Amino acid sequence: MSARWGWQVSTLVLFVSLWLLQALANGQTHHEQARDFFNKQGNGNHTNNWAVLVCASRYWFNYRHMANALGMYRTVKRLGIPDSNIILMLADDAACNNRNKFPGNVYANPGQGLDLYGDNIEVDYRGYEVTVENFIRLLTGRVDPSVPRTKRLLTDDRSNIFVYMTGHGGNEFLKFQDNEEISAFDIADAFEQMWQKKRYNEIFFMIDTCQATTMYSKFYSPNILATGSSQLGENSYSYENDRDLGISVIDTYTHYVLEYLEQINKTSQLTMQDLFDIHDPGKMRSTPGVRSNLFSRPLNKALLTDFFGGVSQAEVMAEEDIKSHVMSSIAEKVPRPGAGEKKTKALTPSAVKMVALQEPLSKGDGIPSATARAWTGAGLVGLLVAWVTISATR
Amino acid sequence: MSGDADDERIFLQSRKVRWSILAAYWAVILLALPLWWTTTSIQRLSLPTSRVEDLSREDLRFPVDITLNPSTGVDVNALSVKLRGLINARLGPDVRSWLNVNVHPNPVPGTDSYVLDFDAGSQDSTVKERNLTLAGDGSSPSKAANLLIDLLTPRHTAANQQKIAKYSPRYRLAFSLLNENAALGKSALGWDLNDALSRYLFPTLQSLQLLHNFTIESQVQFHAPLAFDPTHLNDSAHGLTHEDLTVFVNSAEWSLSSSASNDPVLHFVLFVPSIPHRPLYLLDSEGTPMKSNAFILPQWGGIVIHNFSPDMTSNLHMTPEHLEGIFSAFRLQLFTLLGVPELPKGVLCLDDALPSRWQMDSLLRQRSLENVASTTETLHSIIKLVNQIENMPVKEDVKGDIQNALDTLELTYKSSNSAKSALEYSARALTLSSRAFFNPGMLALLYFPPEHTYAIYAPLFAPVSLPLLAPVVREFIAWRKAKRAKQKVE
Repeated sequence: MSARWGWQVSTLVLFVSLWLLQALANGQTHHEQARDFFNKQGNGNHTNNWAVLVCASRYWFNYRHMANALGMYRTVKRLGIPDSNIILMLADDAACNNRNKFPGNVYANPGQGLDLYGDNIEVDYRGYEVTVENFIRLLTGRVDPSVPRTKRLLTDDRSNIFVYMTGHGGNEFLKFQDNEEISAFDIADAFEQMWQKKRYNEIFFMIDTCQATTMYSKFYSPNILATGSSQLGENSYSYENDRDLGISVIDTYTHYVLEYLEQINKTSQLTMQDLFDIHDPGKMRSTPGVRSNLFSRPLNKALLTDFFGGVSQAEVMAEEDIKSHVMSSIAEKVPRPGAGEKKTKALTPSAVKMVALQEPLSKGDGIPSATARAWTGAGLVGLLVAWVTISATR
Repeated sequence: MSGDADDERIFLQSRKVRWSILAAYWAVILLALPLWWTTTSIQRLSLPTSRVEDLSREDLRFPVDITLNPSTGVDVNALSVKLRGLINARLGPDVRSWLNVNVHPNPVPGTDSYVLDFDAGSQDSTVKERNLTLAGDGSSPSKAANLLIDLLTPRHTAANQQKIAKYSPRYRLAFSLLNENAALGKSALGWDLNDALSRYLFPTLQSLQLLHNFTIESQVQFHAPLAFDPTHLNDSAHGLTHEDLTVFVNSAEWSLSSSASNDPVLHFVLFVPSIPHRPLYLLDSEGTPMKSNAFILPQWGGIVIHNFSPDMTSNLHMTPEHLEGIFSAFRLQLFTLLGVPELPKGVLCLDDALPSRWQMDSLLRQRSLENVASTTETLHSIIKLVNQIENMPVKEDVKGDIQNALDTLELTYKSSNSAKSALEYSARALTLSSRAFFNPGMLALLYFPPEHTYAIYAPLFAPVSLPLLAPVVREFIAWRKAKRAKQKVE
């Protein structure tokens, strides 16, 4: 008798789990995260810098998130990243909000010391354009052909990218404008696609939100350095209220990072390690985290200006090379290797032909637990059905 | 369940009717399943994986024919054999995988081969078109072989390699005349850019047009302040240290190029320091001024600093004559940025304009190889990502682009006897493969953790499934009970 019951219940479970299986099939690959990364020597060999600054919140009471992003914008611009290389995604409804006592201004400190809005702000994605889809499209480069240059991330394998995100988040997600959310898996996959297309040399990912460190826990592509404001289960708090505005104007973590960056200039030799040394859970009221296992350089060798600054290479051309290049004279002497004659390296096909990443994917340990969860869910529904049936038949 | 037998008598309660109602519900659900499945699944066409594998294993191999000029009175047969042996021995195996050098004693009809000649009376070796005239009488084939190797496979220093911009079929050249502060006077208020360009740069751009399509834009700015103070030197001069050069471009205040198109931009900046900063020199590591006034920012562009002579009295409009030296610096910067190889030491070019045929040919070969490499790499990446990310759609246009890229890649391999058409095909293959990769439709659906999926489906499906499943079970139990009762009776 009981064996028959078991059989009945399991047929029910089969039915119910049909739709669960479909749901599972969509999610599996995302658990394939742990993977040995292709060991490229990231030796600061970049020739251009880009910054993607995302404020994922909107509405007046999220004033501080806009101030966070604008503060970062001001800093990277001051340190030499041109506006054409900064993609700023901002709801941009704080400066000209009816409730703003100082119209056209955004301040990150009580007392209105420094106006972050200023007269030279280039917001690339504004208002309702700040969506998860646009953000993923921006990173992966899969934009419509008609999208203008200012909304594109035109990076290559020599680009260092600084990605800063702020907003309201939770375990492995970040809310976009109270409307949708991006998960840690989505960003990790986007970065992997960028890596596959050689769209970056190195990425520095910084996020200020609640449970921020969970957002970078799923990354699996090489040469990414990540930091976040708080651990799993922790909130990130705002820093200070402004009595005139009646609202908090900046988040604690970003406040201290910006305060630190304020002291460096374009030629600073301070390193990432120096920045991470200021992490102080007491002061910041949350425990900031750093993830450097994907990053191939020691943190005390990676300069802050590698990510926050402009380019850092220049070479003077030898005078005789230019002279020899004067035209219109027939039988001109043609340039000699001149100044650059230190090391010669033959350009061989092996140097040109990049080895494609062909490592087998090792499955992460996420799948068994997810399957177990799915079956438990199906079992519960089955039990419920059985219980209803039995109680009905009695 | 005592009323079972009575129920049977009422039509509505008859078992048959109950079962058919139940069956109707289940039939609708089962028939709807395929529809639900097709509408929720993503279109993922299969990609030509094996063809990509096959094509990427192939090598683009350029045949190079060198003919000896028979009028030289040297034993051409012996020399050609010797040269061929020497060249092939000295080329590394990696170079031999893409370059196939052949030396013929006599001209081969129908091929544009390189011609090697000797001139005993000359001091310098010269190149003109595809001809190379070596100084000397041909008694030293070793030297000739080395020179040929240098011409055919020019070496880029690692530093130079880094400066070369990524290949693009189109470039925008942005020429900017920046006055640090024209309000203080004695500045350049304009320049005859068109004349200067047509005189100094167009012949070069014309040859380079085989590789790239150039768009040119220009601007003059009267106030382009530096973001730092140049080092003050003794004699009222100022200097820029190497560190200053790395932060020289004040991108926050100079707007250097329009954002009119998505083509990569190469910048050429002529910077005129303000009077208080004149003369402005570049300093070497010891802090002494250098002769050179030009520097290059890798992959970005070139900058020339121009100090007007101190006896200049008023503002100036720069004529092509003023610009001659500046433009030869710009031209060298352009060569470096585009990866035009240098001619080997001691070789003169007799052509009207640089780059020479030899340089162009080796640049075409180099860029074709790069394009083929990055095409196959992109195709590999697409296949890998599609396998890896399961909710990434692959539609007809992506598949079409990939197939076209593969076809064009095949054409590239076939046309390797002409470096020019090899480059054209390889550039097209690269564009197609990139377009496939960046196809807007390839955006993967957002990921939702399984918990979220349950949370969305459960409130809808769990209540619906209860009344559907429970009667089935109930009917089954009733049927079994009835059957058993029947057995008992028997």
